Amino acid sequence: MRLHLTLNGSLVDLDEDPTTTLLEWLRARGMTGTKEGCAIGVCGACTVLVDSRPVSACLTLMGTLGSSTVVTVEGIAETEPALIDAFVGCEAMQCGICTPGHVMAAAAAKLAGIGSRADVDSEIRKWLDGNLCRCTGYETIVAAVRTYVER
Amino acid sequence: MSQATVARPASRTDAKSKATGATLYTADFDHSGALHVALVRSDVPCGRIVSVERTAAEAVPGVVGVLVAADLPEALCGRRVRDMPLIARHVVRYAGERVAVVVGESRAAAESAASLVEVDIAELPGVFDPLDALEEAAPALHDAPWSYPGAVVTEGMHPNLQSLVEAGDRDATAQRLSESAFSVEATYTIPSTKQGYLEPQAWLAVPGPDGSVRLRGTTKSPYRLREQISTCLGLAPGELEVEPTPLGGDFGGKGAPGDAPLCVALARRFHRPVRLVLRSAEDLTATDARHPARVTVRVGCDSEGRLTAMSFDAVFAGGAYAAHKPGATVNLHGAVEAALGYKLPVWSTRSRVAYTNTVPKGHMRAPGATASVFAIESAIDELARSAGIDPAALRAANLLGDGDRDAYGHRWEQARGVQTLEAALNAPALVTVPAGWSAGTGLAVYCRPTAASSTSLRLTAGPDGSFVVEVPIPETGTGNHTVVRELLAEALGVSPTRVEVRQVATSLLPGDPGVGGSRVTVGMAVAVAELARRWAAGDGEGPVELESKASYPPVLSFAAQIARVAVDPETGQVKVLELLSAVDVARVVNPVAHQLQIDGGAVMGFGSAVMEDALEQDGLVWAANLAELKLPCAADVPRLTTVLVEGGRGIGEADVKSVGELTNVAVPAAVANAVADAVGVRVRDLPVSAEKVWHGLNALEAGRVTR
Repeated sequence: MRLHLTLNGSLVDLDEDPTTTLLEWLRARGMTGTKEGCAIGVCGACTVLVDSRPVSACLTLMGTLGSSTVVTVEGIAETEPALIDAFVGCEAMQCGICTPGHVMAAAAAKLAGIGSRADVDSEIRKWLDGNLCRCTGYETIVAAVRTYVER
Repeated sequence: MSQATVARPASRTDAKSKATGATLYTADFDHSGALHVALVRSDVPCGRIVSVERTAAEAVPGVVGVLVAADLPEALCGRRVRDMPLIARHVVRYAGERVAVVVGESRAAAESAASLVEVDIAELPGVFDPLDALEEAAPALHDAPWSYPGAVVTEGMHPNLQSLVEAGDRDATAQRLSESAFSVEATYTIPSTKQGYLEPQAWLAVPGPDGSVRLRGTTKSPYRLREQISTCLGLAPGELEVEPTPLGGDFGGKGAPGDAPLCVALARRFHRPVRLVLRSAEDLTATDARHPARVTVRVGCDSEGRLTAMSFDAVFAGGAYAAHKPGATVNLHGAVEAALGYKLPVWSTRSRVAYTNTVPKGHMRAPGATASVFAIESAIDELARSAGIDPAALRAANLLGDGDRDAYGHRWEQARGVQTLEAALNAPALVTVPAGWSAGTGLAVYCRPTAASSTSLRLTAGPDGSFVVEVPIPETGTGNHTVVRELLAEALGVSPTRVEVRQVATSLLPGDPGVGGSRVTVGMAVAVAELARRWAAGDGEGPVELESKASYPPVLSFAAQIARVAVDPETGQVKVLELLSAVDVARVVNPVAHQLQIDGGAVMGFGSAVMEDALEQDGLVWAANLAELKLPCAADVPRLTTVLVEGGRGIGEADVKSVGELTNVAVPAAVANAVADAVGVRVRDLPVSAEKVWHGLNALEAGRVTR
């Protein structure tokens, strides 16, 4: 199936099996920042942006993407240094396997205007309910997302 | 050099590479040219293998081989007891056990072929409950378990016994309990659950032309794993190299050899790199999970609230193999050391681990203690309420203080049980209870001894006055590399940014027991101080290599935790509003990393308290994915409050205490005690669910039980 994606700002024309998942496709291209955790769309370790919305790459079939714009952690690291700085500065990680997914969820939170809502922390916690972290207890992750979305 | 002159770094060694997705975990490494492995697993918990039909699987394009036990070395593997085969031979002992392995040119080919392997197993009656397993007439899982290398059981014992540890005086304890002014007896249960790391177990084994293998994978103990695999497969020293690799979470689950020996054997057989990345569902249903436990506690006190005696009797379902337990007793230290934090004149303990037809159980954050502390801290609460004594006052009267002797006869300098408890009690409540809900407050205490571990390090001069320190362990997420960098920078009097921490393969340093037992920061602190001393005495060029076998007496760390809950009296729903952790600390090396361990532990304890259950029934794990095994998300987490109880004395001159396995342990008892405080319902079976509380409320109302 012919696809015309924009991946991290670059146009990519490709012919791909429509049943390949976006996660498999990204990782096969060496873009391993997007992780396979639960593989059923629960843990959020594979979160990427598709047309500015956070999606689980493990559940996204290439055939559904058409001419979408896809942004991964490798892309956001280039375009949003303030987001990376917020996670680094708040030490919002331990083992780090969930961190790219949380970074992408934070990028989506900013695009959705979370930073301007009342009771930002509670909104952030609800926003992050699709991203699990087993290490940190979430306190520094919430702090990092708040730092970024309130900028 | 004073600390004031050393600039604290703002960040961890691994922060930027993790935030940008650049950190490579095992599944991320280049595996071009590798063969992919998929496992065919038993779907019944107990049976005899009649046949394995491979023809259809072998016909799948890209399949290189479909192997059964007869095609592989007849090898047994384990951390201490070597009782686990590479692939089930003749019999299967748990659902999820490997019965065949498919090797293919792609993961998709291997996985689809694996689904075509037809396994015929004649099912046999299994044993799932550990007490059933230890009945006289129970079917034996193994013919002669005492004959396995490393076994601690002997012929004549029940064949389903993996381990038995008994101590104390049962008769005197029973006598004293019968004479006590107040006593309670109750049985508490905890279910199996998974460590909950998000990175499934994975291995990449790369053979060299000479038959040697380089292995990377999800292990926190590279040197121990090398030894276990080499022993299992009969490899000569030098034939196996293990590369430490960042772990995507551990919590005790990544110390077992898992599928690594099989992958190494396959790499040697096919002379090609071999890669196995488990799917999450396999990881949750077939790898080392927490031991489910049943614990009976009898505890008594006099009219003043002084404990008179305690008997503790735990039985754990160990699963089909003992292979995942590393301790010398093949038991769980948290059960063997039960009630360590209290003064107890008379006591007895027994901890049994049984072979059961379930997934072989392993370690999870404070193994054994999660069961024993839930039971003992619940029982002490029940005792206090039945005696009409404030549960906090009862604990204060009995916790260890400076110079006190524990039940086992050891005298502890600087034991700070009472101070830690008082710090928790003095902290104000920061939450309010919703209208119409019943408020409750519960308290529980955990006391943990920690010693320094041995390790090894090498320090060399880098360019421009910088340093490179080589370490034998991977970064598991706790910040262990950051701690080494900061301690070393401080000792050398340079900025932490001038120190590079490099994890190196197992041939490059003398050894290390691996991450675990809350001993890494303590052991590294001791080793780094010695390394810096040797550097200062040297020529300034290096390298200086250190094999640290420092032996210090252990120190105790206490955590006193308070749960403030609201219970809906109509539905039994429990909201945990706040978890307060008072933590007994000495010198804190990195305050942020330290706090992350406290918070992460408290949230894991919260999950154990109210959410997590692997739903293991008749040998099958029903919580087979992360939608079924509920782990706390950000929106679930209660308010977390920490009180650091400063002024403790840590180990040696490093003066640090452990923290990694402190704050997850007492939370379930604190929550159960808070629910009892709120509505009078005692839940003795984790997790504390709305359903159990609702049934308890109904029983109270019907007068079947009393508050």
